[in-house]
Amino acid sequence: METLIATLVSGLVLGSLYALMASGLSVVWTTLGVFNFAHGALMMIGAFVAWTVSEALGLGLLTGIAAGTASAAIIGVVIERLLVRPFYGNRNMLLITVMTTLAAMIIMEKSALIIWGARLKQLPRLIEGEVSILGATISAHEAVMIMLAPLLLLALWQFTVRSTAGRSLRAVGQNQESAALIGIDVPVAFALAFGLSAALAGLTGSLLGSIRFITPVMGAEPLVKAMIVVIFGGLGSLGATAGAAYLIGFIEALLILWVGLYWTPFMLFLLMIVVLVFRPNGIFGGKE
Amino acid sequence: MSRFFEISGVSAGYGPITVLRGVSLHLEAGECIGLFGPNGHGKTTLLKTISGLIRSTSGEIAFDGNDITHARPPEIVNSGLVQSPQGNVLFGDMRVQEILELSAFSKRARPERAANLASVFELFPRLDERRNQKAKTLSGGERQMLSIGCALMCAPRLLMLDEPTLGLSPKLKQELAAAIGKIAEGGVPLILVEQDIEFLMALTDRLYLIEHGEVVREIDRANSPDHDEVMKLYFGEAMH
Amino acid sequence: MNLAAKHLLLPLAALAILAVVPYFAIESFTRHLFIIAFIYAIIASNWNLSLGHCGVFNFGHLTFFGVGVYAAAILAKTYGVNPWLAIISGGAAAAASAFLIAAPVARLKGIYVVLVTFAFGQLAMQLVLSQSGITGGAQGMVRVPYLRLGDYSFIRDYKLGYYYVALGLLVLSTIFLVAVINSPFGKSLKAVRDAEDYAASRGISVSRQRIMVLVLSAIFTGVAGGFYAIYLRVASPEVFGFGTLSLALSMVLIGGAGTTYGPIAAALALTFATESLAGIRGFEEARFIVIAVAMILVLRLAPGGLLRLFEPLVPKSLRQ
Repeated sequence: METLIATLVSGLVLGSLYALMASGLSVVWTTLGVFNFAHGALMMIGAFVAWTVSEALGLGLLTGIAAGTASAAIIGVVIERLLVRPFYGNRNMLLITVMTTLAAMIIMEKSALIIWGARLKQLPRLIEGEVSILGATISAHEAVMIMLAPLLLLALWQFTVRSTAGRSLRAVGQNQESAALIGIDVPVAFALAFGLSAALAGLTGSLLGSIRFITPVMGAEPLVKAMIVVIFGGLGSLGATAGAAYLIGFIEALLILWVGLYWTPFMLFLLMIVVLVFRPNGIFGGKE
Repeated sequence: MSRFFEISGVSAGYGPITVLRGVSLHLEAGECIGLFGPNGHGKTTLLKTISGLIRSTSGEIAFDGNDITHARPPEIVNSGLVQSPQGNVLFGDMRVQEILELSAFSKRARPERAANLASVFELFPRLDERRNQKAKTLSGGERQMLSIGCALMCAPRLLMLDEPTLGLSPKLKQELAAAIGKIAEGGVPLILVEQDIEFLMALTDRLYLIEHGEVVREIDRANSPDHDEVMKLYFGEAMH
Repeated sequence: MNLAAKHLLLPLAALAILAVVPYFAIESFTRHLFIIAFIYAIIASNWNLSLGHCGVFNFGHLTFFGVGVYAAAILAKTYGVNPWLAIISGGAAAAASAFLIAAPVARLKGIYVVLVTFAFGQLAMQLVLSQSGITGGAQGMVRVPYLRLGDYSFIRDYKLGYYYVALGLLVLSTIFLVAVINSPFGKSLKAVRDAEDYAASRGISVSRQRIMVLVLSAIFTGVAGGFYAIYLRVASPEVFGFGTLSLALSMVLIGGAGTTYGPIAAALALTFATESLAGIRGFEEARFIVIAVAMILVLRLAPGGLLRLFEPLVPKSLRQ
């Protein structure tokens, strides 16, 4: 029983992480119809910048996190401008942007390697110490993440539902032309979506940098996990993506318990492929 | 003195396909004009070009003395040149009130948002009833009302309507005609695209017949006593 | 027959030149570069079959290569299989893996094809990393047996033997690709790419086509992988990494997606370009940035119709 609770709590931590990561991907997908392969790399840059500001420059963790978030957002806007916008309306936009964002990812990874080097780095935790949830122990930092994730998701959701800017993103995602006809500046909306998504990635990276090692390739595995999440949940709605994220988090935790750490990634992929065979649009279906 | 709205020699198309070939037409202050003609001959393309969704390859477009030939869509909407497009697909997953509120997006329209929303609901009570419903649950006629409502939320100084009664029952057509008439009476000049000549004649001062991407006939209602002749003209020409 | 002969002129001339290169390039390193270039040429031109010619968003192509690498390495080293057979088995193993992945992919659309084929590569890498008993895990495998022919062991003569084997494989692969593309099957593939719904309405089974094209594109890619393992005598998880993928992808794009000879020419050009960049200090990692930027530039400068009216750097006569 104890192990089960520990597993569930671990699943909650993973799920929170995946929800944060996948929600950014979802924003870009629903607004632009683009899958941003550089999303994981944006996370990584956020972590590195946070580290530089917090540790190397000694300006404190919170400043570091803010800097990480902001720098990722800026790079996200640049990516949209240079690597996505030129291909709007192109018949093969999806495929092309997959390749350009893949290229962006490589550029960012290699640049990070050159700038920061390969030695492992780490950020301090937001709160030191541990907490006990229903008998299972996790670090206080992870507990913060568990609480923060739903809050951020809620904020994101409310943003898209209530605010004019958020609504404009939804409108652009559903009908670009009509959105232009009611006065929405579509390129600006795209930049906003990308910037927002990248900010989420940068924030997640900055938070992750405390409980995992910061390396130039740290974004690869989260990207793959986020992929699995969006495949499960379909890319269409924020709710489905969040739901799928927590689901995958729990499944992963359970798999680690049952088949061990080494076999878990393999099983997850297998599961994903099986799901796709029966539900080509993901478990919750959604916009293609 | 320049005209309120004028297009001279505008050509445009999609990639290698030219649809509009040197279209010229104008609208004086206080007028309402109509555009009619066979399907696929460029009326929608013309409206899209005016709204900035399509780049014209030649010619000029001027609105209230300003050259908007190369203006971007948000600027055009902000200047008050607003279109209610054909097909009324709009934003299926958003709610009626959300969509209407969002439509007051441009700087010019935002201050008047609350007032305009009230007017739209007054004009189209059905939208008021369905204000929390998602757009995709609306019937064809209601979607058309929503499309016009959105255009009104943009605080238009010149309103272009692309086939607002397409596919609607006669009763709905009348309802919409009345609503459009009210809009015009409220002081908003119209460019109305329609297949139904009678409809156009009732609501506009002048008509342009567009065929093969060109203006082939200008008909001044005041000086054209016999609207049967116009019908013959239209059907006769469309028989080519 | 005349037209076909004209089309063959340039490739045959190129082949003739490549055949005599070793007489001018006598140092081991230059020959090594050519060998690597030939391997990449096989990878890229076969990738074109699925990605360019058939329009399948296959991002798992390098997985076929990796499967070939490990299959050959394991067979040759752990099970003592003759290296020649091991290389061929690499092709078989790759084809089998292609069949496995093709089945679920066949009915998917758009982005899901990208994600699943990509995830497939990750899956393979995870498998390799986790089964370190068999695969050597993150360290990989070393001292894989080398090629012999009777008494002649191929590591002699500054890689002369390997050069011709690699070239031979490239020739075989190219003949195979050209044959497939010009076959009725190949033409129906193009129809599927250009107008999927129409092709389906004409009775072409789109999913079966996809499975077939993925399997076909995997064969020689796996063989190239097997050869890579035997030639370099190592197998490492890096073959599943982004570096290899981006290099191969840029060859397909720069050479011209939709052509067979384009990626081959690009493979030669880019292999030499990146190797010379690696020589410059500070550029070992930065050269990947250069490749990525080159990829983006190619995509930017080719207006509309990426998979069709690309502007390959290869003359029209070679556009197949």
